[in-house]
Order: sequence, then C-alpha cells, then structure tokens
Amino acid sequence: MPSPDRQQRIAALRDRIADIERKPALAEARALVREDVAGFPLPAGGLLQEVFTDERRHAGAVLGFALAQARSLLSRQRPAVIYLQLVKDAQEMGLPYGPGVLSFGFDPDALVLVRAANMMELLWAAEEALACKAVAAVVADIAGHAKILDFTVSRRLSMRAASRGCSIFLLRYGLLREASAAHLRWRLVPTSSARKRFDPLAPGAPRWRAQLEKGVLRKQQTEWLLGWTKDGFTTRDAARRHANRIVAQPALPGAVPAHLADRLPETA
Amino acid sequence: MLFLPTWPTDCLKRLDRQLKGPLVLYERIKGGLRLAAVDAEARQAGLSVGQNLADARAMVPDLVVREIDRPLLEAVFADFADWHSNASPLVAVMSHASAFGDLVLDITGVAHLFGGERAMLRLLLTRLRDIGYTVAGAIAPTIGAAWAVSHFARSQVVEPADLETILDTLPVNALRLSETQIAGLNQMGLKTIGQLRPRERKPLQARFGLSLLERLDQALGLLEERMMPRLPIAERYAERRFVDPIGLMDDVLMTAHDLAIQLAIRLEAEGLGGQAFHLFLYRVDHKVMSLSVNSARLTRDPEHITKLFSNRSERLEGEYDAGFGIDMIRLAVSSMGELDAVQLGAFASQDGTEDLDQLHDRISSRLGTLAVLRTQFVQSHVPERAARLVPALAHVPTASVRPPLDLVRPLRLLPRPELVAINAEVPDGLPASMIWRRVGYRLVKASGPERLGAEWWRSGQRLQLVPPHVPKRPEPGEKPEQPPYIPDLVLLDPDGMTRDYYNAEDAEGRRFWIYREGLYGETRWYLHGFFA
Repeated sequence: MPSPDRQQRIAALRDRIADIERKPALAEARALVREDVAGFPLPAGGLLQEVFTDERRHAGAVLGFALAQARSLLSRQRPAVIYLQLVKDAQEMGLPYGPGVLSFGFDPDALVLVRAANMMELLWAAEEALACKAVAAVVADIAGHAKILDFTVSRRLSMRAASRGCSIFLLRYGLLREASAAHLRWRLVPTSSARKRFDPLAPGAPRWRAQLEKGVLRKQQTEWLLGWTKDGFTTRDAARRHANRIVAQPALPGAVPAHLADRLPETA
Repeated sequence: MLFLPTWPTDCLKRLDRQLKGPLVLYERIKGGLRLAAVDAEARQAGLSVGQNLADARAMVPDLVVREIDRPLLEAVFADFADWHSNASPLVAVMSHASAFGDLVLDITGVAHLFGGERAMLRLLLTRLRDIGYTVAGAIAPTIGAAWAVSHFARSQVVEPADLETILDTLPVNALRLSETQIAGLNQMGLKTIGQLRPRERKPLQARFGLSLLERLDQALGLLEERMMPRLPIAERYAERRFVDPIGLMDDVLMTAHDLAIQLAIRLEAEGLGGQAFHLFLYRVDHKVMSLSVNSARLTRDPEHITKLFSNRSERLEGEYDAGFGIDMIRLAVSSMGELDAVQLGAFASQDGTEDLDQLHDRISSRLGTLAVLRTQFVQSHVPERAARLVPALAHVPTASVRPPLDLVRPLRLLPRPELVAINAEVPDGLPASMIWRRVGYRLVKASGPERLGAEWWRSGQRLQLVPPHVPKRPEPGEKPEQPPYIPDLVLLDPDGMTRDYYNAEDAEGRRFWIYREGLYGETRWYLHGFFA
C-alpha cells in the first residue's frame, strides 16, 4: 500500500500527462520560457510560428529572426534545420547563402535547403520534415498567398509540430492575415541597425521590431525591440538604457580559429 | 547504333579549336606513311583512308597533318561511350572494324523515356551534331542491321517488318565482311544483300567460309549476337512474375515491398547494403518502365526502400501507364558496399544523423535529388563561387575551407545579381541612394568598399579532356613537330570584372549588399544580397 504522499505525486503526474496530451504546445512552452531572465523570452520547440513582415524586401530580416530562434533549438539529437522554398521564388527572395549564414552565427552545415516545385510539395516536405526526430526546426519561406495553405493545413502542421516537438516557422509577407492555427504570430520590421564601434557611418548588428500579434509569451508584453549578435538576442528597453543579453548556446560546433590579422577592421 | 565516321579528326578539332582546314591523320604502315583518318573537308578534296601521305600532300597543298595516336583516341572514345549510358545502361563499343567510331546501345525498354525511338534517335544525333561531330545512326532490331544501315544508308529507325526490304538494298560491304570476302562477292556479281540472300548457302559457305553466313544471319536476326556492355549491370536483384498481369500502382508497391524483404534477407546474409535501387516493371507488351531511388547511406531496410519507391511513384502519377498490365517486376540494387549487421535500439547512436539521412532520401525521392541541397564551401573569394549548393545525398562536409567568421556576407544571396541605379554624393564615395525594382531607397549608412578581384588564374582555362601535348624530339631527317595551338578563347579582363562590395542600409533599416563592377569608365552597380 503506497503512502498517501506517493499517491498524490502519482496523481499529479497523471494530471500533467493528461494536460500534455490535451493541450500539447503553448501552455507547456510558456512554462519552459525562462521567465526569470529579463529580455526576450525564447519560445521552446514544438510551436507553429508565423513570422509576418509587410514587404518582401524584408526577406533577410524574417529569415534572420527564424534562424536566430532555430539556433537555440539545435541539439545533438536534433542537428538540422530544414529551409523550404518554392523554386520560382529563388530569384525574387534570394537563397540562404552559406558564408552569410556562417557570419550570421548559424552553422551552415546544419541548414538543409529544400526547393519545391509547388505549394503542395512544399507542404508535404514540411510535414515530412516535422515528423523526423532529427530536425530541430523547419523554416518555410512562402512568398505568396496560396489558397491551399488554409486553416486546416495550418492546424495539421501545428498538431504535427506539437506532437513531435519540432518547431516550424512560416515566413509570410504582406498585410493580409488568414485564419490559422499558429501558436504565435509575429509581425517583424527591420529597424535601423546598432551603432558600429568606431564607424558611425557603417551598418552594425541587425535590429528588428517584433510585435506578437497572436499568442502570449509573457504577460503584458507584446512588443520587443530585438537585436542580434553572434552570441544571441539582445533587447533594448526604453526604460533601461542598456542592453540585456541572453546568451544562447554556442552556435558553431568546434573551436573557432583566431585570426592573426584583422581581415576587416571595424573601421573599414 | 551510332556511327561516327570522322571521329578522330572531329575529336582533335574539338580539343583544339584552332585546328582548321582539311585535316588528316597518318600512320606508319610497313615503312610508308598512310592516311588513317580524313575529315569531311579532306574527303571532299578527294582524299581517302589508306592513301599515301605524299600523294595527299601533293593533291591538297594546304593540308593539316597529324600523326594518329590510337591509344589516346581509344581512351577518349571509351569515355565518350560511357557518357552515352545516360541514354541506355547497356553501351558497347564495336571494335571489330575500328576501336573507335562505332557505338552500340541496347535501347530495349529505354526509348519511351525519350518519347519513342524516333525522338530518341533524333536527340542522340542532334546533341552530337550540335557539338561538332559527324554522326549517323540507326535503330534496328539486330546489331548487324543497325550497323549496316548506319554505315550505308541514311539515319533511320528500322521497323522489324521492313528489316529485310531495307537490308536487301544495301551493298554487301554492309555485312561487316573482310576485304577478300567483299572482293570475291563482287567478282561473282553479288553487289547487294538482296542478291546474296536467295543464293544456296552450301556453295557460299564452301567459298567464303562460315563467317559470311554468320554475318548474314546476324543481320537478319536469325542468329543471336551479343554485345559486351562497358558498364557493369546490377548483379543482385529479386524478381517476381505474375500469372495474371497487374496494373495498379498499389499492387506494384506491395510487390516492391515483398521484393525488398527478399533482397534484404539476401543482402544481410552477405553483409552488403546498397545505395541505389531500381525497380523495373516489365509490361506485357515488351516494354519496361524503371523507377530508381537513391539513399544517402548504405541500406537494406525494406521499409525505407518501399517508402522511397512510394514517394517516387507519386511524382509520376500521370506518366504511369501499365498498358495491358505488368507481368514481371524486378528490384535491383547497385552501388553496393559492405554493411555489417547492426543491432538497432540499445546501442544505436543517438545523434540523429541516420534519421536525417533517411529524411533526405524521402524528400529527394519525391521532389528529385536536386531539390534537397546543402552548402558546400569552395576555396574561392568570388561570392557566388565560394558556396555551392550540392545535393544533400552527395554532401561532404568541408570544415577546412570554411570562410572566416568575420567576413561581411549577406544572409540571402540573389542567384543572379540585379542591376540597380546608384547615386553617390562624391565620385567613388559611399552610395547615397538606390533604385531597385523601380523603388527608390535612401541609403543612410554604408561601409565599404571590399574589393574582390576576378580570379585571373582561371582566365585561360579550357576543358582538359586529354593529357597535355608533349612535343617529341625530331629524329634526324624528320621535320620538327609543329608546336601545339593555343585556343582562341576570350581572355578575361581582370579590371573589368573587379567588384567593389558595399554593405548599405536604408532609412528604414533594410540592409543590402551591393557592388560596382569595373574600375574605370563603364561601371555598373548590382544588388547581390540581403542582410538580416
């Protein structure tokens, strides 16, 4: 006969399991967000996130935001991020560029590009990738508004993402918001970059204004002014003048060699 | 059958673009210099193979002369033959007449991939003619007939029904006979195959030997002739025949699953695994359909193989046509390697690379191999050359050539740089405004230039198909060899291709990577990428 204390614990665990099974994603994800740290609360894996931006020429910013989040999801068990794009969008939007991805602070070997011929195949590949237990995140770059991508499809993707613990980012462009089952929906706009040391004329580290349109990450906060450095997100609060830094895990596996000479001095 | 009558000269002309005019190749036979190959121009001037070189020089004063290098030509022709395995897996070189010039392709069950025999022949011929080869070709039910038609008639597809009528009109030389046999037949007044065919066989055999009848029967298809394919064929396969032909794709896939299990048991016993799997569907009406899938790592897992085939089959939904039914299915494996028995589960590595490889296989099998890509770094400073996208199945990580981390490179690169209009406040100053895709941008921050020069060491490069030419020391009494020609390729202009890259940001925080091409005079601006 187990002790009452133990029975209570088993009951609590059963509740927790039931909770997970019923509402898999966001409640749990919110519990996993590191509330104690000030700054940007990094969402956990297993979410469908829509990242909207107003115009297609902001394609670099949304990709950067998605990769920055995906980087924190990479682990030894989940070593890959799948990027999906339609073949016809490559010239308009550009393709992720290995050296650029590397200098952004993301390991290009972890990035797999999938180029689909039509939306149907892209969604099929997204679902197939979500089902793989070695994929940390799927980044789907969808330039246009496809009829096929409706509520049912996004519900399907969000369920799949929640059950497999793999995040999916839909990069969307434009002002139109369709009904979707996304856990989080962002509106992202690039803002003028950080100051570069010793050279006020040069663009510095990227900065984005991220507005959470759907879902809750932290109570009473829906807007962040995010910065990105190789070490992780930085946030700027209007109240506090200095940047709070969250250090994510190291991005690049292995040691990074030091350069003897500074190839591109900051004053370039 | 493809016949390239002037292959040696065409090949040399392709290798060396400056070779012009009538070209002949000579060879030393019994102390005399005889022509071994002539090109079309020389043939028109009246030259022919076997002629004395001195006579030829007298007939055509501006003749270009080279000594023939048979081993080299044979090697190049063998590669050329292997290349044709993109048309059919069974390719052979017919070497009884000459070691180069005759190519046999067994296109059984292949022609439908090219839209029929006629379209296939046209494709094979035009793609060779486009790159400068003289070529004739024929598709016929027998090797002998195809040889005869390609050498002595116009390029065509010979249907089995008119095989005899077409052969009858051809001269006896078309039977691949020896010189003496041909001379003898001509003496008897037998000029064409049609005259030869109704003759009594016994006297012919007595006079010309068995080989004449053999060649005749081979051409007519009465005697089987085998070809020796150059490339190995898959040696492990499992197959199933059906009493009643099947037609549904689901049935085919179920059979493929059964065959994959059979094959897996055999492969496991031998400790082997494969990377390429081919499913051949033999239709009742003598046609074969083939489906191929590739796997990133050696495998024999039947579930995985079946999954790949079912993905692959979804891609050909429209093209799948079982015709009157499929009566045999064969699953073959190639690219095999040793794969020891592994225990899965308890001791399997947990790093997920195997799952990832299987995911690549699955996506590639449906979207195509070229749809799943990874970045491969190349040692180059030209941005578009520094990173190549290679199929994930063929990716080899190259940690050593990674670019340094502190380079300023955009997150997205446009496959083709786009022309933009740029204004700078002062000449050679930082760009101040830009018009791209008909929208103006005011650039408030910029840094640069980062000057990237053209790769001058690649300027004179050309296709190296053969080892470089080493001049021989002239023997006494022989004329010194002519120096090799330098190809007339357009030389690269390093100044015109030099790029100055700027990292520019507009008033709203969009960051662009733009460059100016050229140093002086005519310079143009391009947009090449976006930063995060």
